[in-house]
Amino acid sequence: MINPYPGLPEFEYVKPASLKEASDFLHQHKNSACPFLGGTDVFVRLRDRLSRENYLVDIKRLEGLNNISYDPERGLTIGAAVNMNKVIVSPEINSHYPILVEACRSVASYQLRNRATIAGNICNASPAGDTIGACLLLDAKLSINGVNGKRVVSLQEFFIAPGETILGPGDIVTSIHFPVPRPGTQGKYVKLGRNKLSDLAIVGVTVIGYPNNDLRSGYQIKIALASVAPVPLVVNQVEELLSTSAIDENIISDAAEIAMKVSSPIDDIRASARYRKIMVRNLSQTTLQSVWTELTEHSDNLEQSIKTSRRN
Amino acid sequence: MAIHRIFPTINGELEQVDVPSNMTLLKMLREKMAFTGTKNGCSAGECGACTVLLNNEPVNSCLVLAVECDGADIVTIEGLAQDGKLALVQEAIIKSGGVQCGFCTPGVLINTMALLDRNPNPSDSQIREALVGNLCRCTGYIRIIDSVKKTAQMLKAERSELWQ
Amino acid sequence: MAVEHTKPIPSPIGENKPKIDARVKSTGAAIYADDIQFGNNLLYARIKRSPHPHARILSVDTSKAATVPGVKAVVTGDDYPGYIGLYLQDRTIFCRDKVRYVGDPVAGVAAISEEIAEKALDSIKIEYELLDPVLDPEFGAGPNAPLLHPDLGHYEVANFIIPKPGTNISNHFKIRKGNVETAWKQCTAIIERKYRIPHIQHVPIEPHVAIAQVEQSGEITLWGSSQSPFAQRNLIAKALGISQSDMRVIAPYVGGGFGSKAGVSMESLAVAIAMKVPGRPIKLLLTREEEFYTAFVRQGLVSYYKMGCDESGKILAMENTFYWDAGAYTEYGVNITRASGYSSSGPYEVPNIKTDSYCVYTNHPVGGPMRGFGMPEMHAGLEQCIDELALKLQIDPVKFREINCLKTGSILVTGSKMHATGLPECLQKTAEAIRWGQDSPPSSPNKRRGKGIALMWKAPAMPPNAGSSAWIELAEDGYITVGVGGQDLGQGAFTVAAQMAAAALGVPYEWARVATPVDTRYSPYEWQTVASRLTWSMGNAIVNAAQDARRQILDIAAEAWNEDADNLDVVNGVVISYKTERELPLENLVVYGLPKDDDQGWIGGPIIGRGNFMPTYVTGLDPETGQGERAVVHYTTGAQAVDVEVDLVTGRVDVIKGAAAFDVGKAINPDLVKAQMEGGFIQGMSSALFECLQLKDGVLQNPSFVDYRIATSTDIPDEIQTIIVEVPQDDGPWGARGIGEHAMVPTIPAIANAIYAAVGVRLEGPPFTSEKIYLAMQDAGIVS
Repeated sequence: MINPYPGLPEFEYVKPASLKEASDFLHQHKNSACPFLGGTDVFVRLRDRLSRENYLVDIKRLEGLNNISYDPERGLTIGAAVNMNKVIVSPEINSHYPILVEACRSVASYQLRNRATIAGNICNASPAGDTIGACLLLDAKLSINGVNGKRVVSLQEFFIAPGETILGPGDIVTSIHFPVPRPGTQGKYVKLGRNKLSDLAIVGVTVIGYPNNDLRSGYQIKIALASVAPVPLVVNQVEELLSTSAIDENIISDAAEIAMKVSSPIDDIRASARYRKIMVRNLSQTTLQSVWTELTEHSDNLEQSIKTSRRN
Repeated sequence: MAIHRIFPTINGELEQVDVPSNMTLLKMLREKMAFTGTKNGCSAGECGACTVLLNNEPVNSCLVLAVECDGADIVTIEGLAQDGKLALVQEAIIKSGGVQCGFCTPGVLINTMALLDRNPNPSDSQIREALVGNLCRCTGYIRIIDSVKKTAQMLKAERSELWQ
Repeated sequence: MAVEHTKPIPSPIGENKPKIDARVKSTGAAIYADDIQFGNNLLYARIKRSPHPHARILSVDTSKAATVPGVKAVVTGDDYPGYIGLYLQDRTIFCRDKVRYVGDPVAGVAAISEEIAEKALDSIKIEYELLDPVLDPEFGAGPNAPLLHPDLGHYEVANFIIPKPGTNISNHFKIRKGNVETAWKQCTAIIERKYRIPHIQHVPIEPHVAIAQVEQSGEITLWGSSQSPFAQRNLIAKALGISQSDMRVIAPYVGGGFGSKAGVSMESLAVAIAMKVPGRPIKLLLTREEEFYTAFVRQGLVSYYKMGCDESGKILAMENTFYWDAGAYTEYGVNITRASGYSSSGPYEVPNIKTDSYCVYTNHPVGGPMRGFGMPEMHAGLEQCIDELALKLQIDPVKFREINCLKTGSILVTGSKMHATGLPECLQKTAEAIRWGQDSPPSSPNKRRGKGIALMWKAPAMPPNAGSSAWIELAEDGYITVGVGGQDLGQGAFTVAAQMAAAALGVPYEWARVATPVDTRYSPYEWQTVASRLTWSMGNAIVNAAQDARRQILDIAAEAWNEDADNLDVVNGVVISYKTERELPLENLVVYGLPKDDDQGWIGGPIIGRGNFMPTYVTGLDPETGQGERAVVHYTTGAQAVDVEVDLVTGRVDVIKGAAAFDVGKAINPDLVKAQMEGGFIQGMSSALFECLQLKDGVLQNPSFVDYRIATSTDIPDEIQTIIVEVPQDDGPWGARGIGEHAMVPTIPAIANAIYAAVGVRLEGPPFTSEKIYLAMQDAGIVS
């Protein structure tokens, strides 16, 4: 019987003045303290009696967590406390990483996005996380501050199981770093919910692709799936297929079939495994097709403009 | 559990409030300060009945801790009308027939204010997207969306600020 | 008693007056029950609930709870033996020997905070002996099911409810009309179908809340989010063995009801706990999770339909069996079984009909009144069978309904005659509005488009003698205050009350106030705000009260002016004489009377008008055949049509356009009527596409907004056309009858019929989620 509290249970609110203080406190009170940013996951869990921390550590205002910085040589850094609405309106992110904007826009509601963060989405480690696929495919790296200092971890190595990450006691994600995007990058995030908007992902498909002349097909196209495996799933076999073969509608169909076979969704109250599998195939198909169309249209334009500029 | 003394500004007035660590902004407004216009519909950030402006942005106050609001600027539904004069969003929703039981109305109006602040001429789909976090069971949303369009028109006609 | 329809309609009847409560609600100043300030005296209640669907209570140990600092009262069922119920008294306030659903209240605690109350609940130890549960109504109605209410034969029950003691059937309603067996033989086409309608919940945005305070003298005050202050007073007083007059119910604004806040659900718990702490108010506020399954839900239905028609499309026979999954207590739900029984033909003339409608106890949440009162659940399957029958004979579904739908004078399923009705007009106008017959092109190659239509009918389901009363008081400024016992849930009851009072008395609308909040100490009696009955029933009472006040006023003026009262009138707040053209503003007369002509004394005094209305003509129905001269007071009829698009990639159903027409007799406030049609359409659409209480082994799996989905602003169609049809009701104020529930009734089958038109699949029941539609299309070979 699901039986949440009427409100939040008792806990102490702790607001450390520095990252060191925060990590030390969290390490000292491992198992009874957790950090929070927007609180949209942490508070709900507490109320639902799914966890029972005595200390909530507010890390929102710590140094370096609130910046968005883009450098054309180095890439994009988003501070952990930057909320999703800020991501959505950032000119740099819109210009260079529009897939992050698209993924954020699909989350919950405008009110919740004023508190929710990409870092929080990542650390919550739900297989349904909407922004995780984009981050994985963009080769995101996490800066982590721990009791033993700072380190950088690739997002590919971050997830262990639903709700479980490599973070240890005292670890705080301070920012997410994305390398410079490859020229001609196109991407799309398609999310299937029960309502048109605001639902969790029943199935989520993120596709990113860019021209790559080192590959036989001339394109590198990657796909990540949400809600169909214990962790957000990058389907390497699809990337493999689409890099070695000349891409057409049939290859895309095959790719979608592979994605379906590799996914391992479960039956739950939101949807059945049977439906999820078929949706992986159908939505991978349409999303890959859509990105492929964008890639070819834009590369045609790119070629045209190169030819035109050569003529002049 | 520690009690924190905080100094939020609420509807333009600087306040002093003592709040326990686990008290939400919603509870503080409703129970500590009798700002009962903001409503409790789910305590889980889903229905939007608790929407207030926190530093100019709409949030679900049931998922914000009061202690986080030290020095913050908060606007609740009680802060919209000035000196007995209704805000344009309030006039519009009354005219459009967008108020039935009224329980979702405060959250809707706060969210609408914020929408028109950042986008004074929203399209139909932009209005719907902005309001997706405000659940209404009575009106079917039709007259609420209509009232937002009406307000945008009134704004255009008035060419005046939402805030003084 | 009713206002004549031949006279010209006076202002402001038929005018779109803005809602009387809109301003106070849009400024945050409107007070709902949880907003009332009670000060430091206030205690908070929390309830210990059964985690099992069916079990015997072996022991309840509350000893530790009472010792938790800050706890002021601990209550169990031992303290309250009285039974409570509206039509059937089958439950006690707290469980005494058995628990019958997950959420059944076993103990209650009042403390100085909700957190302390929760702590105390955690310390209460209860021992249960698990019993086999009944989780399906067909099984529950059968001989092998465990007995949930062995005492069914001893419960007090209304005389129109027919329980079967020794079974789980708390009401069996029958229709036996004509001879279906011979009729089948004459049918050219027959359809037989089974439908399964899941439980849903009302989802008012304001959860249930009740505050109770009991004085040392024993007098009780109950504040609550309530549709039914008088019914709550009556039922709770009876259960506690006290006089109704020793209990007072105050009902401020309601943040959505839809039936969930009618009758008594959690309010009795607050009162029971308050009795242990005299002098202190106790507040019980349901969490959203509790709201989903511990107050009222809409019961589930397993329905079997068989219907047949001749080659011209005339329906000859229907056979229906309804198994209502009515939940652990059916004190209210028994009447849903009856209402669906006597409506089981749908809005059609059917000469031969056999219906068995069973109210079945199950170990599921308590089924109660929800907008439509059984009509949405019943029409969901019936209107699909109508379509299938039409399509089997290759008759257009609109044409088929034209042939068979009720007209004025049609003979009804209960043998009564249909009063004047605009149903054919509703059908025709709705079909026109949706452009029936013209296929809309799909918006992309991966989509399919289709249109569907459905009709409905519903009568107010209530005891035959449910009454209304009203008073009207005038002040020194000539303004009037209308006293009512009916509640404004957002539908506009107070607004139309003011409109009707102003019109019947003869004052401007702006002079009319309504005495709120409804308070049983001062407000006049009203049975309940349910059944879409207020505009009609309370309206009649208001009109009578206004006419009473008018008579008093005119009698005073007539005497003072030495004229015949028949030549006098009240127009726009002024008493006028048609004969002498003499005039006198009301304010000069309504409190202090008028001086005699010779200045030697006074005539009149403070004017107070009173009126009531109670239907007196409803006859009973034969318990074996369901036949009777007049089963109900009247029916509202109507039609809805939709234009939907189905996505072949995901199975998602989008309602692109909607159209609806209802015969409301007379729209007192057309804008408010349309607002009901819009809101009802969307709530119906939401129940068709998204909503389902997922019960597994009696446990609700999705008691939160995360997994109980309702329509959001992004899900609604681009356009809903709402059409008002007015064929006057003979005894309604200016011809008016209700609309509140009816707008939600035909939406499920309209959408189902449209989905079939688009992609050729039909499901066993709603919700028509993307998954269910896609997998059905896959099973049918339409998609891979």
